[in-house]
Amino acid sequence: MDQAAEFRESLQMVRDSAAAVVPHGDLRRIRALRFTDPGFDRATWRQICDLGWPSLALPESEGGSGLGMRGFVVLAEELGAGLVPEPLVPAAMAARVLSGAPLADLLAGTSLVIPAWQERPNSLDPAADTTLRNGRLTGRKLFVPMAGGADFFLVSAREGLALVPREAPGVMLVLDRTQDGGTFGTITFDHAPATPFPGNLDRALEEAALATAAYLLGLSRRAFAITLDYLATRVQFGQPIASFQALRHRAADLKIQWELMRASVQSAAATLDLESDLPVCRAAVSRAKARAADTSLFITRQAIQLHGGIGYTDEADIGLFLRKAMVHANLYGSAPLHRTRYAALALEEHDA
Amino acid sequence: MPDLSPEALASLDEPAFRSCIREFLVANYPPALRNPPKRLHFRDTKPWYLTLSRAGWLAPGWPREWGGMGLSAARQLVMIEEFERHGCARFNDMGITMIGPLLIRFGTDAQKRFFLPKILSGEHIWCQGYSEPNAGSDLASLRTEAVLDGDHWALNGQKTWTTLATDANWIFLLVRTDRNAKQQQGISFLLVPMDLPGITVRPIINLDLHDEFCETFFDNVRVPRENLVGEINRGWSMAKALLGFERLLLGSPKQASYALARLRLLAERMGLADDPSFQDRYTRLRLDLADHKALYEDFAEQVRRGESLGADVSMLKVNQSELYQRITETMLEIAGENAGLLEPMGGNRELHPSGLFIQSRPTSIYGGTNEIQRNIIAKNVLELPG
Ligand SMILES: Cc1cc2nc3c(=O)[nH]c(=O)nc-3n(C[C@H](O)[C@H](O)[C@H](O)COP(=O)(O)OP(=O)(O)OC[C@H]3O[C@@H](n4cnc5c(N)ncnc54)[C@H](O)[C@@H]3O)c2cc1C
Repeated sequence: MDQAAEFRESLQMVRDSAAAVVPHGDLRRIRALRFTDPGFDRATWRQICDLGWPSLALPESEGGSGLGMRGFVVLAEELGAGLVPEPLVPAAMAARVLSGAPLADLLAGTSLVIPAWQERPNSLDPAADTTLRNGRLTGRKLFVPMAGGADFFLVSAREGLALVPREAPGVMLVLDRTQDGGTFGTITFDHAPATPFPGNLDRALEEAALATAAYLLGLSRRAFAITLDYLATRVQFGQPIASFQALRHRAADLKIQWELMRASVQSAAATLDLESDLPVCRAAVSRAKARAADTSLFITRQAIQLHGGIGYTDEADIGLFLRKAMVHANLYGSAPLHRTRYAALALEEHDA
Repeated sequence: MPDLSPEALASLDEPAFRSCIREFLVANYPPALRNPPKRLHFRDTKPWYLTLSRAGWLAPGWPREWGGMGLSAARQLVMIEEFERHGCARFNDMGITMIGPLLIRFGTDAQKRFFLPKILSGEHIWCQGYSEPNAGSDLASLRTEAVLDGDHWALNGQKTWTTLATDANWIFLLVRTDRNAKQQQGISFLLVPMDLPGITVRPIINLDLHDEFCETFFDNVRVPRENLVGEINRGWSMAKALLGFERLLLGSPKQASYALARLRLLAERMGLADDPSFQDRYTRLRLDLADHKALYEDFAEQVRRGESLGADVSMLKVNQSELYQRITETMLEIAGENAGLLEPMGGNRELHPSGLFIQSRPTSIYGGTNEIQRNIIAKNVLELPG
């Protein structure tokens, strides 16, 4: 077997391994976790850690699989297809910058570290107003996913990164519910004791944005598959509605859009694995994330439309996919933000 | 207090009429009901319904002889605009918009005298029982059946997606009264009080996590014979006329104008109001709305002249719903992470992009899906062969 074939086989193994956590066709666990605290299941999170997923994208020398982002997007796609709420993407972001005991504890599943970097809506800028002086952190972070389940926050400050236990004095956490049944945390740090940590989030943010695009790719795939099944079984006017040309054309359009999203995500993952130049990586991520945001909403909206009345119920699973897309589409940058960023990177015209 | 009777209003010029409505809303509309995040139930909107009723303002489009305002289409639009601007909630309006106009056209004198005043007084609240689990787009395949038994109909079957059935004390139904006739020809239009024995209503939680629509079951319900509207087995053509009214209602610029105003607020909150690319998108939507209003006025004027609406009214429904959806999609796009929030942003009900986005979804499904409307336009308006 040549190297490329071997690599493809490894990716397929990652895909297959996801079945351990992603139940086929059964969203009961997902439903039951909605609107609960912390919105995901700790036992499943430990299982995810046992499988080595938070470090999957890391180099082998750092305990990763060596499959890089190409491996990680395959996994994120599968988790998206199962609407898995466990916070793999933020935890993997933390794993990218942590080292030593904090990393070991994170990977062992004993302590969940969630990055808290954002201070303004629709922004990718982690270096903002938060300050870290004399081991004390002061500032406010927004939209921290699943913050209620974190043991530590990895916080960006002007002076660099810092680890802060969730239970530390001076940490105040307010949770807002999200449409998918999870939460966003707003965290206020008021002279909270913090341990400085070297490194920055530049690369980790790109990976999180791309993994989110992959998650959207997966949820769109499953929403589309459920919809195709419905078109084949729902009968009106004495025939399956899949026989109506208007719907056949719609389905064909959704297929084209989904494949574009897939190609975009996978090529961006290859760019991240093979390119070290940050602007080139950023352009690839922006291209993929802008498309994933738009297309996942397009596909899940159409999925509701093609279901008719039953699509507008909470009882039907298809709505879970729309709600998930609504929350994830704008995480790590909305489509307009990524388009603007892409344009500003001013790459050469041919957009290689 | 100025004279606000429909007669006095009719004599005002447009600016005076508009400011009259504004003042009325400021003085009378319950502040707690402004910009509700979800569709309200009648227990909440009843006081407002009764306020409108007392003012004689409940039925802008009905003729005055039956207690309506007899307003021109242009004036009705002004009312819609002002109500939306003020953030007035939609109330249980099936009686006003659907069954009232139907009875005015097809009802017997006795039916008009019995039902119309009770709609206006809020005594009767109506819901619509057309769709069934297996008869949605293909409505004519409906199976809920009424069989004449002496001076009563024996009614059996199931309706679904019945909006606000838990609030209603009357339901209007399409039922099969002749199993052997061709599909459309064996259907009748029946008015049924909801408190009869054998009727069960089960609320369904919708995508907005709200108990807005229901399943409604009929198990050997005995309905008085005179509750049929028009002739037996002629219900389909009446229902089609009524669908015209419904599509006019769904084609009214209400939802799109409400959403557009909120898009503007959201853009201001997100610091985008002066952003050139947002300006371009926003202006495009504004022009879409202005042109839609012009088209709507043409149709509404037709109704006021007493003409019946043709199949072309489907265009209004398609265009309004899709414009509304484009606006809420834009909201989601510019809201950043706020797009995922379950509750309004910062507790401000006017800033709830995710809620409006979800609520805009079914507008291309109910009242006949947009796919079906396009089929109608192709077949009955364009008369394409095939
Ligand atoms: C919020 C809401 C409120 C409602 N309120 C009421 C109410 O108060 N009373 C009431 O009676 N009903 C109500 N309805 C029901 C509504 O009228 C139906 O949902 C609608 O007619 C579609 O029927 P269906 O749901 O069975 O979808 P289906 O008919 O099964 O349609 C599924 C999909 O197939 C498409 N399709 C079907 N046939 C064709 C075709 N020939 N060509 C192309 N595409 C086709 C549809 O467009 C749709 O995308 C409500 C629905 C909703 C969502």
